[in-house]
Amino acid sequence: MAVAIALLLGAAVATAGCGVGPGSGVGEVSLTVTRDYGAEPVMPVAADDASESDTVMRLLDRETEIETRFGGGFVSSIEGLAEASRDGRRHSWFFFVNGVESPVGAADFALLGGEAIWWDYRDWSAVSRAPAVVGSWPQPLAGGFEGEAHPVALECRGGNAACAAARSALGEVGVATAGGSPDAAIRVLVGPWARLRDDPAAAQLEDGPQTSGVFADFSKERDGGYVLEGLGEDGEPRRRFGPRAGLVAATRRYDAPPVWLVTGATARGALAAAGLLSADRLRDHYAVATEGGEETPLPLPMASR
Amino acid sequence: MRSPFAYAPRRGPLQAASPGAAVFYLGALLVVAFLYSSPLVLAAVGVAAGLAGVLACAGSAVRAAIKLGLVIAVPIVVVNALVVDRGETVLLRLGEWPLFGQVNVTAEALADGAIFGLRAVVVMIAFAVYSACVDPDRVLRALRPIAGRSALTAALISRLVPVAAADASRLRDAGRLRGPAAAPLGRATLIRRLMAGSLDRAVDVAATLELRGYSLAAPDTAARAKGRSRFDHRFYLAGGLVLVAAIAGKVIGADGFHAYPTIEIGVEPATVALSALVVLTGLAPGRRNA
Repeated sequence: MAVAIALLLGAAVATAGCGVGPGSGVGEVSLTVTRDYGAEPVMPVAADDASESDTVMRLLDRETEIETRFGGGFVSSIEGLAEASRDGRRHSWFFFVNGVESPVGAADFALLGGEAIWWDYRDWSAVSRAPAVVGSWPQPLAGGFEGEAHPVALECRGGNAACAAARSALGEVGVATAGGSPDAAIRVLVGPWARLRDDPAAAQLEDGPQTSGVFADFSKERDGGYVLEGLGEDGEPRRRFGPRAGLVAATRRYDAPPVWLVTGATARGALAAAGLLSADRLRDHYAVATEGGEETPLPLPMASR
Repeated sequence: MRSPFAYAPRRGPLQAASPGAAVFYLGALLVVAFLYSSPLVLAAVGVAAGLAGVLACAGSAVRAAIKLGLVIAVPIVVVNALVVDRGETVLLRLGEWPLFGQVNVTAEALADGAIFGLRAVVVMIAFAVYSACVDPDRVLRALRPIAGRSALTAALISRLVPVAAADASRLRDAGRLRGPAAAPLGRATLIRRLMAGSLDRAVDVAATLELRGYSLAAPDTAARAKGRSRFDHRFYLAGGLVLVAAIAGKVIGADGFHAYPTIEIGVEPATVALSALVVLTGLAPGRRNA
C-alpha cells in the first residue's frame, strides 16, 4: 500500500513539473549589460542555457557579480557598478526582457528560453521609466514579450516606400505581419509624424518622455509641419533635426502591447527611419534618430558625461 | 506545576541586580540579535544568554526556551523555503501551487529561514532568562512612575499568567481524579474553563495588588537608591561593552552574512572578536563578586 502511494505521489510530482535541482534546459537566452542608456557595454554579451527554474535574477547572478537588496529582490550592483546618487542625479539598474520593461522584479521573472535580457545602468532623475525600447531588435517582434507570442501588425499611414522597407526588414528576421490590427498585436506604425500622431500610443511622445519613455519629440512649425527634436537624459530638448530626419522608437500605453514608431517629420524621414530596422543600427539603444545617413542614439548624453 | 519561565527568587547576581541593570544587560544581547544576521554572532548571543541563564540557576528556563524556540524556528524555515523563490541554488522544484505560483526550494531561502529561526531561538532564550531571573514586581515598580497605566496592565497580565497556569494545573488534577473510566479532559475544555473564569481571576489579582499597596505613591529617590545592587555596574558594563562592540562591528562590516543571491558567510576577525566578547559577557551573572 505504502509503495503504491509512493509511486502515485512520484507520478504526480513528475507530471507536475517537479523534481530535484534546477531542471532541464528550456533554451538559450542572451544577456546584455550596459550603462548610460546603452552607450557603453559593461561586459560582453553573454549567452546561456536557461533551465526551467531560471529567473532573470538567477541568470544574471550566474553570469555576473551582483549585489542585491530587499531580500534578494532588487539588484543594487552589477560588476561593481552600484546604484548611486551623483551630483544630485540618481542612477540605478533597470532591465528589459525582449525590449519591454518588466512589470515584475528580476527574481520573479521566469525564463522560458529565447529571451533577450538587457540590463542598463542609467540616470533616472528626470525619467523613471521607459516601457519599451528598440535595442533588442528583432525582439519583441520576433519572440513576443512577457512569456507570450504576439502577432505583429504593420500599420502603414502614408509613405509607401517606408512601409515596404519596414515590411522587408521584418521579413528578413522572420517576422510575419498580420493583416489589420488583431487583438494583442504588437503594432508597428510607419509614416510621417503628422499621420501617426492621432494614434493614442504614438501621441504619448507629445506628452514627453515621462509618459512615453521616448527621448524625442516633434514640435510643430509655423508652416504646419513638424520638426524632430532629440531630448537629453534630463528630458530637455538638445538637438533639432532637419526635415529628412527619421526616428525609430518604441512605447507602450498602460498594459497594451508595445507600439513601434517608424516615423519622421516627412515621408522621406520615415523612409530613412525604416532603413534603421536592423540589429546593427538599433542594438542597445532606447531609440534612434537618423539624418543624412548618420545615426543618433537617443537620449542624447548629458554634457558632463 | 510551575512554569519554567516563571520568576523564582534565587540568590544570584542577576536576581539581586536592580531591574534597570538586568534589563539593560539582557536588552543589549537582544539588540545584537536583531542587529546582526551573521550565524556566528547570533549563535554567540544564544550561548551568552544560555550561559547567563544557567549561571543564574535558570537552566530549566533555558532548556524550555530552546525547545519552544525550535518549535517556532522549524516552521519559519519551512515557510520561508516555500514562499521565497530567490537565490541561485535551486534544490527542489515543487511545481505550481495555488496562491504560491511556481514553488522552487533554494538553498539560499533555506539559509535565510534558518537565520530567522536561529534569531527566534536566541530571542526566546534571552526572554526566558529575563522572565525567570528578573522580579516582575521590581520591574513594574520601576516603571510605575514613568507609565502608570501601562505598568498596571503589565502587572495584571504578569500576575494573571502564573495564576492561570496554577488554575490549569488544578483543573487537570481534578480531571484526573475523576478516575480512569472518565473521558479525558481535552485542552479545548481546559482553555474554555480558564477563559470563562479569567475575568473573575483578574479582579482577584487586581484586588490583591491593591492590598499590597500598588496604588501608593512612587518610592522616593532614597528608597530607589536603596533598591540598587552592588552587582549593577557589572551588568551595565557588560551590556555597554556588548552594545558598543556591536555598533562598532556593524560599522566596520563584521556582519558579513548575505543569503541572496548566493549564500555568503563572512567570518572576519572582527566577527570572531565580537562573538567571543558576546560569549564572555554571558559569564556576567557568575557568582564571583564584582
